[in-house]
Amino acid sequence: MGVHDLRPVYLRGSRVYLRAMVDADKERGGAWLDETFPVNASRAEKALGDEHTGPGRRAQRRLAITRTEDDEVVGSARVSSWDALRTCQLSFRMARWREDSDALRAEALGLLVHWLRDETEAMVVTVELAADQLETIAAAEAAGMVRNARLREWFGRPGGRVDCLVYQALNPRWEVRDA
Amino acid sequence: MRDPVMVGERVYLRPMEADDAEVLARMDAAETDTFMWRSRMPTSPLEHAHSISEAYEQQPPVHLWLAVRLRDGDRLIGLVGVFDLDWVHRTGETGSVLAPDVRGQGYGTEAKHLLLEYCFDRLHLHMLMSVVDEPNARSAAALAKQGYQPAGRRRWSDVKNGRYVDALLFDLARSEWLAARDEWRAHRATREP
Repeated sequence: MGVHDLRPVYLRGSRVYLRAMVDADKERGGAWLDETFPVNASRAEKALGDEHTGPGRRAQRRLAITRTEDDEVVGSARVSSWDALRTCQLSFRMARWREDSDALRAEALGLLVHWLRDETEAMVVTVELAADQLETIAAAEAAGMVRNARLREWFGRPGGRVDCLVYQALNPRWEVRDA
Repeated sequence: MRDPVMVGERVYLRPMEADDAEVLARMDAAETDTFMWRSRMPTSPLEHAHSISEAYEQQPPVHLWLAVRLRDGDRLIGLVGVFDLDWVHRTGETGSVLAPDVRGQGYGTEAKHLLLEYCFDRLHLHMLMSVVDEPNARSAAALAKQGYQPAGRRRWSDVKNGRYVDALLFDLARSEWLAARDEWRAHRATREP
């Protein structure tokens, strides 16, 4: 069985799909592991082991963002929730060497929001984006997310800094109950 | 004082030690406010001891808690911390907890100023943020005094009394903290005999 068979039907887009991590992903740790400094396969293997010690670790689940056309891992999305997916936080790590990372992350975000809010019935989905991730921001807004906070000068960039934008998708089915 | 990290006029900060575990469990048991928990459970000194034993293993840390102790008598009265430290972007989230019986006496403000001085002048962080549950007006007012600026809110961060409540976000630049610290010091000086 190859990784192709692990593609969830509900997390497939035109350019990327999201799937559970597999042992072979240790060979591409630089693309998906959000460490401060560069990692090798040994470190990525340890991280995979630490993150998959049992069902209890599902409060923080990392999914590989994988290119549809060639199954290349181009990043990862972490879905965090400490209340059984009632409130969910998303975070992304994309391969730094790719020029199309923003577009790939944008598609992944749209898939995740639809899955969490509309199928899993999460109450609220939150993601923090850098203000220069324009395609991802556009995808967030297209998915119905609203910017509710801005942390100033949060991310360093060569020659300057950019803000952190907090986007949220509130589930309208839960909103009715709040009326 | 044992291993002080930052020293103020009435309180000082130092790493947590194993013998703090018992006090922290008693502090949890005495907590009168409930807005910070969806539900709570009695804590054991054993779990605090376990947390303390691992608290400083990772260097540099992602999360850093420091004990707040009175200089007079060396009593542990609370904790301050900075979390989700990002050593590339030089950011973090601050938080604090103070024993109920010492609130409203200025210890928390002094401890938080020591923490901010540590974050900005020792760690050279660029920006800090802090989160307050919307009903917690006391903490929101305290953040304003320390120079934090409103940054927005996280909607529906919790459920209380059958209603959604939001979390209020604040951020703080070093220049804003310096101005607030000078103002706080001037205000305090006018109150001293």
